[in-house]
Amino acid sequence: MASYSSEEEEEEELDYTNDPVWADVTPLPQDDGHNPLAQIAYSPEYTIAMSYLRAIMAANDHSPRVLNLTSDIIGMNAAHYTVWGYRFKTLMSLDRSQTLEDEKIGWSWRQELEWVQSIAKRYEKNYQIWHHRQLIIDHLDDPTGERAVTGEMFALDSKNYHVWTYRQWLVQRFQLFDEEELAATASLLEEDVRNNSAWNHRYFIVLGRLGEAGPEEGVVERESELAKEAISKAPQNPSAWNYLKAVLRKGGIELATLKPFCESFAPILSPDEIKSSHALDILSEIYDEAGDSVKAEKALELLASKFDPVRKNYWRYRRRLLGSKPTPASDTPTIQATA
Amino acid sequence: MSEIQDPNASQQLGLADASGLSNQRSQKPPDPVPTMHRGLPYILDDLGTETSRKQLQTARSVLKYVNDSRVPTLDKTTHIDFLIEPLEDGLSRGFTGLDASRPWLLYWCINALALLGVDVGGYNERVVSSLKPLQHKDGGFGGGNGQAPHMASAYAAILTLVVTSYYESRDLPKDRWMGVYARSFGWIDRQKLLDWIRKTKLRNGGFKVNEGGEEDVRASYCALVILALLGYDEDELRGDVSRDEKPLLDGLLDYFKRCQTWEGGIGAKQHSEAHGGYAFCVLSALCLLGEPQDVLTKYLDLDQFISWLSARQYAPEGGFSGRTNKLVDGCYSTWVGGCWSLVEAAANGIESSGTGFDIDSNVGSLWNRKALARYILACCQDPHGGLRDKPGMRPDYYHSNYVLLGLSAAQNYYYYDNAMSLPSSIENSPFKHGFCWKSSRNVPKPSTSEGIGGGWEEGLVSNERSRVGTQHPLFNIPLHAVAEIQEWWGVAKGAEIL
Ligand SMILES: [Zn+2]
Repeated sequence: MASYSSEEEEEEELDYTNDPVWADVTPLPQDDGHNPLAQIAYSPEYTIAMSYLRAIMAANDHSPRVLNLTSDIIGMNAAHYTVWGYRFKTLMSLDRSQTLEDEKIGWSWRQELEWVQSIAKRYEKNYQIWHHRQLIIDHLDDPTGERAVTGEMFALDSKNYHVWTYRQWLVQRFQLFDEEELAATASLLEEDVRNNSAWNHRYFIVLGRLGEAGPEEGVVERESELAKEAISKAPQNPSAWNYLKAVLRKGGIELATLKPFCESFAPILSPDEIKSSHALDILSEIYDEAGDSVKAEKALELLASKFDPVRKNYWRYRRRLLGSKPTPASDTPTIQATA
Repeated sequence: MSEIQDPNASQQLGLADASGLSNQRSQKPPDPVPTMHRGLPYILDDLGTETSRKQLQTARSVLKYVNDSRVPTLDKTTHIDFLIEPLEDGLSRGFTGLDASRPWLLYWCINALALLGVDVGGYNERVVSSLKPLQHKDGGFGGGNGQAPHMASAYAAILTLVVTSYYESRDLPKDRWMGVYARSFGWIDRQKLLDWIRKTKLRNGGFKVNEGGEEDVRASYCALVILALLGYDEDELRGDVSRDEKPLLDGLLDYFKRCQTWEGGIGAKQHSEAHGGYAFCVLSALCLLGEPQDVLTKYLDLDQFISWLSARQYAPEGGFSGRTNKLVDGCYSTWVGGCWSLVEAAANGIESSGTGFDIDSNVGSLWNRKALARYILACCQDPHGGLRDKPGMRPDYYHSNYVLLGLSAAQNYYYYDNAMSLPSSIENSPFKHGFCWKSSRNVPKPSTSEGIGGGWEEGLVSNERSRVGTQHPLFNIPLHAVAEIQEWWGVAKGAEIL
């Protein structure tokens, strides 16, 4: 029997109608209904493969040939969630009957994972591929090499949402909140300090995963230093500012402590020296909390008129809200820092 | 009707009805280009990275389009041709990748046509016959015939049916109106569909897209829309204790709450990066379950959310990005632009303690509608028809729908009316708050530099030919179609058709 369609063997076309492997299957045609709208003029190969799949599914057939059939279809339509789902069920069924690692079918979980990765590189925006991988790794209960696999994808697109979703699942499932994970985010941020996905992942592994619990001693300081360093390199980078604010919030540290830092990037009395609209934004909050409405207004007006005019309406709305916030002492729940 | 009455309104409506628009247009010199669209942002960091290089490249390429006092009108004719073609003539094999998204194709094209003013009622019969083979024997809808049921397929299928049945029935006498709805919805196995949705419910309160499929807030939003539009009531959702069923919506609100991120935005699930598409899903879902000023403050940190949402709009482009430090894209006109209606409703509810509509206490427009309209009209129209992500990208059906929907969000004021009288059939609906939305062509003016509101924003639609239809801010289908389908379920249940 032919092996199960890795990249190289794909050229070798499946011949459902003449191959004796499929002789017992009566293909089931597609019912598109009467006079349908937006019908797709499939290639003959796709039409045939799909009609075999329908027949196979109707018979609840999970024999090894299903792997051939499903990889054939996925090669033509990688977003076919039904086919992915059926393929996974088949893999599991073969696994249960211990035929999956058997020499005679020439396919294994390892080969499956390699094949999945080759598809992933061809179709970067795809939900199914990464979900399929997740189901497999969950079943195998072994994350070895998986961080490297996502790393390969980040080399192509360091903000790929599906890959990041998978990476987060991996970290949670196998409790990989370790130095390697921290270093991975640091290295992505080193490459591009504006990579918001990397910032998000860092927040998740350092603080987000803690839930209601407070961070360990020194973590808040370390992370705010990291953000401040990033800001010094690129003061107009919103990711780093947002991260800084979030870290302080999580640490129960008042925003007002940022005043000198922000003022160094946005001296509101010398608008020509302002290097960051985000610093102005935070300053307006700090001034407002301190009851200095004149300065708060000034910061917001600079944003509206010069530094971020497309958001003028928002900055004016913020102006409208000045003085309406309860003081931070009564508002902010104190988060217990662990002793 | 759902228009706010005031002198400006009738003036604007009169304008809409007047003929010889091109005449009137040629007399008026175009407005000068606002400064923000004339050059790069005031602050640019020295440090270049992949993100900043891509951003700069996009800003420069878009500048050529937005820095022009003649903002193009919406070329409805070519867009209509672009959208009718796939419906009528079908699609080439190049679209095989959408074979598991057949209901989406119908929804995108048909809703976009409705936005462009096309009467899509003539498609209803073919929509029904196209969707029937997609209903799964065990309940739900697949992306194509014989495919496993999927939440997004059911969502798009139901939306399409609600749109075309509304158009087909809207001018008919009551008995024939009923006939259209009975034909359009009578074949759906509501009980099996509900049973299927139960199988996608997660212990954490959310839903997954199908059995064995992935979890994200999109699945939860789609589930709520399906349930709301198919008229399921409290009793049905509570479940049958003898079958060991639990209330279907249990834990959902807190599930959404956990999806707000450290940035203030909302991600696909807990810990995911904040993203415009998922933000829209959660905001709409929340507003299906309560009054905006209640749910958006109880389950979100609204101030932080607004700050994140506002940061999605860029200059010089005028359009929205979906995430921090990503590029603008026309489809976020809906995902981000659509959030604004809901956020403004919440902000207004807080200010006026929810006593309906008062222009003087209105917080006004919180975002830049004109800049978005400029981005859409100048950058997202393909000269050969169809709408797109940005210049240089090919148009497609998905972007056509969501760019036009975003234009509708920019042109209209969508507001929540808590004084709206609802038919008794809705009173027992867990989604009744979703049926209290209205629209107005008059958009409250943004706050002045003194932070004061009042009055209407002018010149939002500089050319009436660019005006698109009104849509429901939660369901993303024509506004009035929503009231009609709700009425149908009242009739159907009263007549014990179900
Ligand atoms: Zn897009």
